Amino acid sequence: MPLESAIEVSNLTKYYGDLCAVDHVNFEVKKGEIFGFLGPNGAGKTTTLRLLTGLTKPTSGSAKVAGHDIMAESIKVRECVGVVPEVSNIYDEMSAWDNLIFASQLYGVPNDQRAERANELLGLFGLYERRMNRVGTFSRGMKRRMTIAAALIHKPSILFLDEPTTGLDVQSSRMIRNLIKELNKSGSTVFLTTHYIEEADQLCQRVAIISQGRIVTVDSPEKLKVSVEKHQIIEVSFSQVEDLERRLTDLNYVNKITQVGDKFRLHVENTSEAIPLLVDFARENELKIMSINTLKPSLEDAFVEITGIAAEAMASEKEQAKKGGNLG
Amino acid sequence: MAREWYKEIAKAFYIAKKDAKVYYFKAPNFTYGLLIPVSLFLAFAMAGQMNPRLIVPGLISLMVLFGTTSIEAVAVVLEKQTGTFERLLTAPISYVTLVFGKTLAGFFFGLILAAAVLFPLAAVSGTIVANPLLALIAVAITSLAFSALGVLVSAYAKWVPEAQMLSNFLRFPMVFLSGTFVYLETLPSQLQIVARFLPLTYSVEALRLSVGESAVTSTYLIDIAVLIMFTLAMMVLAAKILEKKSG
Repeated sequence: MPLESAIEVSNLTKYYGDLCAVDHVNFEVKKGEIFGFLGPNGAGKTTTLRLLTGLTKPTSGSAKVAGHDIMAESIKVRECVGVVPEVSNIYDEMSAWDNLIFASQLYGVPNDQRAERANELLGLFGLYERRMNRVGTFSRGMKRRMTIAAALIHKPSILFLDEPTTGLDVQSSRMIRNLIKELNKSGSTVFLTTHYIEEADQLCQRVAIISQGRIVTVDSPEKLKVSVEKHQIIEVSFSQVEDLERRLTDLNYVNKITQVGDKFRLHVENTSEAIPLLVDFARENELKIMSINTLKPSLEDAFVEITGIAAEAMASEKEQAKKGGNLG
Repeated sequence: MAREWYKEIAKAFYIAKKDAKVYYFKAPNFTYGLLIPVSLFLAFAMAGQMNPRLIVPGLISLMVLFGTTSIEAVAVVLEKQTGTFERLLTAPISYVTLVFGKTLAGFFFGLILAAAVLFPLAAVSGTIVANPLLALIAVAITSLAFSALGVLVSAYAKWVPEAQMLSNFLRFPMVFLSGTFVYLETLPSQLQIVARFLPLTYSVEALRLSVGESAVTSTYLIDIAVLIMFTLAMMVLAAKILEKKSG
């Protein structure tokens, strides 16, 4: 029996003046799913999230969130969802406790349940000890956790997260990812935007790849990887790195080559035929093979193949935009 | 239906309570709410206009005007700048409720500011407030009207300095055209007509009447009615602007 839809989007389009930010987008998110929106800066990820959460209105098209039309029933939509923007939007001047109580008041949590719910979330997000401190004194990771906690105060059925781990340290990112998984296990549907391919791969049951306002493909990370498996990959490192890339590119059985640190990833038609030839190449060039592995295509390979956008370029573009104050 | 209304009003009060906690003690509110009106008062006083019955109502109205519009510039525009305003926009509340909540925050600020100054100032200047209840009603409606004006300006502005500049564009002409420190009748007839389009005129007039008259007059009632209509118009317009800006 098919799962019910948490989000249904039909031909959703958004223009800002002449600029088409979201172009006739169609997709569906099933209940209980972690659904990722993956794409470079300016692809339309955040605009789509803002459209679905009622922060901006579509130029054309329609969408239903938790069974409610985003235009005709925007308040009902907002009652059912929690929204975590890329930049934390909690009040620095207020304590963690006051922030959660205020959020509970805005979302109409009954008076006798507010304190209990706030305590529960502060405990879950590891902030209980700091509950009476001003949020302005918190680290970026703690603020992000606070923002998620505030978005969950009314037990929403769908949680929207915009770039949940951007700008966070490794430990905080891992903690947030684990929390997202836990929330999903407890039944929440999660819609997240990210430009971290690895994050989408780790968290999402399905991803939509979006570029220039259009959805290029929607599928599970594994199916996307399989779709680009026509190339097999050998990862190899030699005792010497200098001038090797050019010489390896010249090999007629290598279709494509990328350097990753001191290793080379060679895209070949057939790994079992290519490996002995590679051993010969090492011997002829008086090189020692330090390590050799065969790799399956990653989601990053699939992304690059599908969009033609280099993953590193996407990440650095995002970081530069953040530094420049453009939050996409 | 009544329950839904109650819920919306309650949410507006929660927004106002939060704003009071976060913004009431920000320095700009006191700079604009106290220093500028007092400076203007002193300027007029030195020019020989020292009739307390004339000056005290004018000063109170000015304090409320400057205080409420300044706090709204912070409570709305600063929140837009920091992103916290989106917390309110993503909550299940209507734009009207949001505007009402913000207006209430300024309303209470103006009321406290005026009440804290009116009676001590009246005592010091030897002014007898003939009808304290009417004076309080006039101050309350004034506070609501100017707070709504502050929300309207702030709904439009992107940055705090822009909101302050737009507010000043409205506030300073009103100071000189609304008979704040002079009797309206002494202004040229054309300016008297202009004054009738400015809310500060009605606020000053209502306060002067409550200071000077012990009974309700028809002019007082008209002043209050005009200020209420002005408040509603500002709030509806502010909600429309916020909605349009989000689109």
